[in-house]
Amino acid sequence: MATVREKGYSHWDGRLGERRFPCWPITRTGVQLAFKKKTFRFFFAMAYLAPFAALGGLYVSERLEDFKALVKSNKALLSIDPKYFLGFMTNWSALFGLTLVLVFAAAGLIADDLKHNSLQLYFSRPLRKRDYLAGKMAVIAFFVLALTALPYLILVVFKLIFAGNLKFLAAYPWLPLSIIGWSLLLTVFFAFYILLLSASSRSSRYVSILIFMTYLFSDALAGILWGIFNKNPFMWLFSLRANLQQAGAFLFGQKLPLAIPAGWSFAVLAGICVLSAAVLSRKIRGVEVIK
Amino acid sequence: MSIEVKDLSFRYGKIQALDGVTVRLGEGAVGLLGPNGAGKSTLLRILLGFLVPERGEGRILDYDIRRDQAMIRRSVGYMPESDCFVAGMDAVTFTAYFGELSGMPRQEAMKRAHEVLFYVGLGEARYRLLDTYSAGMKQRLKLAQALVHDPKILFLDEPTSNLDPTGRAEVLELIRDISTHKSIQVILSSHILDDIESLCETVVILKQGRIAAEGRMDDLRAIQYNLYELRLRGEGGGFRKDLEAMGCRVEEMEDGLVKVYAAEASDPMDLFRAAARTGVQVRYFKKSQTSLEDLFAGVVGVD
Amino acid sequence: MSAIIAAAHLSKWYGNVLGLNDVSLEIEDGITGLLGPNGAGKSTFMKLVTGQLKPNIGAVTVRGRPVWNDPAIFPEIGFCPEHDVFYEDMTGREFVAGLLRFYGYTQAEIRERTARALDLVELTADQDRLIRGYSRGMRQRIKFAQAVAHDPGIIILDEPLSGLDPLGKRKLIRLIKEFRTQGRTVLVSSHVLPEIEALTSRIVLIHQGKILAQGDISSIRKLIDSHPHQISVRSSDPRALAARFVADASVEKMTFAADGRTLVVETRDRDVFFGRLTGVVLEAGLAVDEISSPDDNLQAVFEYLVGK
Repeated sequence: MATVREKGYSHWDGRLGERRFPCWPITRTGVQLAFKKKTFRFFFAMAYLAPFAALGGLYVSERLEDFKALVKSNKALLSIDPKYFLGFMTNWSALFGLTLVLVFAAAGLIADDLKHNSLQLYFSRPLRKRDYLAGKMAVIAFFVLALTALPYLILVVFKLIFAGNLKFLAAYPWLPLSIIGWSLLLTVFFAFYILLLSASSRSSRYVSILIFMTYLFSDALAGILWGIFNKNPFMWLFSLRANLQQAGAFLFGQKLPLAIPAGWSFAVLAGICVLSAAVLSRKIRGVEVIK
Repeated sequence: MSIEVKDLSFRYGKIQALDGVTVRLGEGAVGLLGPNGAGKSTLLRILLGFLVPERGEGRILDYDIRRDQAMIRRSVGYMPESDCFVAGMDAVTFTAYFGELSGMPRQEAMKRAHEVLFYVGLGEARYRLLDTYSAGMKQRLKLAQALVHDPKILFLDEPTSNLDPTGRAEVLELIRDISTHKSIQVILSSHILDDIESLCETVVILKQGRIAAEGRMDDLRAIQYNLYELRLRGEGGGFRKDLEAMGCRVEEMEDGLVKVYAAEASDPMDLFRAAARTGVQVRYFKKSQTSLEDLFAGVVGVD
Repeated sequence: MSAIIAAAHLSKWYGNVLGLNDVSLEIEDGITGLLGPNGAGKSTFMKLVTGQLKPNIGAVTVRGRPVWNDPAIFPEIGFCPEHDVFYEDMTGREFVAGLLRFYGYTQAEIRERTARALDLVELTADQDRLIRGYSRGMRQRIKFAQAVAHDPGIIILDEPLSGLDPLGKRKLIRLIKEFRTQGRTVLVSSHVLPEIEALTSRIVLIHQGKILAQGDISSIRKLIDSHPHQISVRSSDPRALAARFVADASVEKMTFAADGRTLVVETRDRDVFFGRLTGVVLEAGLAVDEISSPDDNLQAVFEYLVGK
């Protein structure tokens, strides 16, 4: 029996199902679009330099005898402990590098949708506002985890391999938890922070600048205020970087860089997240899809 | 009936956007008309499942408009008026992406995307980046993303705006094909009355949040008395006299159109007999209907 | 009838890209429709006529005077562009009045003209609102108002009806027709061909930078040899009708439509066909619902000339 299919439109006899994660295509697409950009790929690769340096340090500290000459004056390299990890994960260039990567990956996440009016396409699907936002946040989560939790957890494994035993883990059993906790903190914070700025403008270029400026400016402002108000350590609460580092130190159980309780920094970071949630909720109004 | 809504009302702050709209839409393409601010977009939002009406209820494709909004959106396609795309993607990725977001599995969405892009005439250009697309192509792309998940109802918002005459003709042809041969209910909102006339059998005219007119176009436009429009060639004087002798009233318009008001029970073929008798050619003959424009003006009431 | 706007061997290009190629035409008073596919050169032509662009070759003259670089010509021409170019922070009234200042009117004249123009487009109620808050239709109307506020004899309109609802279109069409009665010259460009047909039967068709056709729509149609005229007859028995015409040499093609009642005939000699039609219909005892010429309109002319 022969059949002939008529050219043109034919009905689809599949079934539209409920996906388990309706936001997955958004995340996947967001990540793919980021990797298409050359500048992004460059900075992403660059951001791995720090973990590699840390790896180097790990190796050196295991083979102290071989590197006696190098190590003479650098006692810091000798002790591999949570402070070592903290140092690599929370220093200024690590945070700045992460911000840089996220700017190129994620500045346009919502800004481009606003500019090109594609929200109406998204919301004419059975997609809820929270699915849309979750999908976008997951893009940021992907990159943050890829640059923080992933490499440094692997480093812990490498340390165990180099040492040949589990003594390190026995000595610092909660180190992996600290790493994960810190990663999650960064993920949540950056997700809200970047999306807040991305939703505030239609131009992704402007958003990129905005992200940089707020990050750097908050630091500068805090420094100025600290100088003016008799070196009051509370002034550093204005600086995003300082708050992040304070929270990080707390999570790694180390000495806090600022002479104030860590709770304050957590509160500031949480406050930004709440503000972002409120703004996002208003900005992405599914209802206004049809003009 | 694919769409049945009763007594829909919605208010934005102080503005009553919809006030007791009841309508049942079944087969054939439906034209949605109304002046700006009449409530068309609000009605569309409710029908698309974005907005919950304050008062009233309804079912679209048998899904409740208040409780099953996600299901409605699954079976409905929307082609927006304004330009919309996602930068950095090509047409296939774009279409498949939105197919996935509608709930299709990834592979299926990909396959459908190719098919649908060919159908709307973008087959050759489907791997090109959207940023390079012309206005006409972007319009077709919007149609493609509305069709990819095989919706049962298709909402089109000004589908031919910004298109040149060729593009317009092609998109209208596509929509005609969809509505007549593909058993998809088409709801068309447009300010271009010619588009509505050529595509839709039913119209719904809104005014200030209420339905001003609703029904099959032929019924709404039918005139109760017998009025015919003719164009003739030849010496018309004798023809006129002949008709007047039969009891008809004859009027000649400035562009040569002849209007004949005939008696209730008259036979239109009498006009032809008169023409044969007096030696004029009948080059155009039509039973008059109110034009859609006049219907609109009459119903919306401002003139 | 003398030409109001005349172009002789007009050519314009932008680097490599050709805008207009050796265009010569004359536009008389009354309403002329300007149409063509995207990129054909319509906007280029309009910009040349309004003096915004300098031709590479040739010149555009208005009432005999070249347009380029002659500021004295501007009061005679009113231009309503396609895209919105506004100062969003002005009110409608300020916008129209502000533009009127360029013509050297006194304050009183400006006020009066502004009021008249705004009244013409029915924006008097919203004249003191910021343009930023205007809807699409209102923006369109304010553009039109500024084009006619200084009472120009020549009005050039680029897509004047886009964004208006059907009533707005109807009002604007009436307005434009009034201009014709007042003896002005109007050049209208639009993509929506039925809207041009509602305004005028005189058109200029531009394609790929050249004039493809110019004149009355029906006359142009008659000249298109490659497509015989289509005549559609809806009757009680199309096949009986067809049988009686099948032997006619002037009938090129007959098609039966899907509705079972319509016969579409293609013929090169409409006179012969119509001359016989009435007699045939009566003799066969048919009841005729409708006789029309489906391709005697602007859309068909466009398609036949520009092709797909």
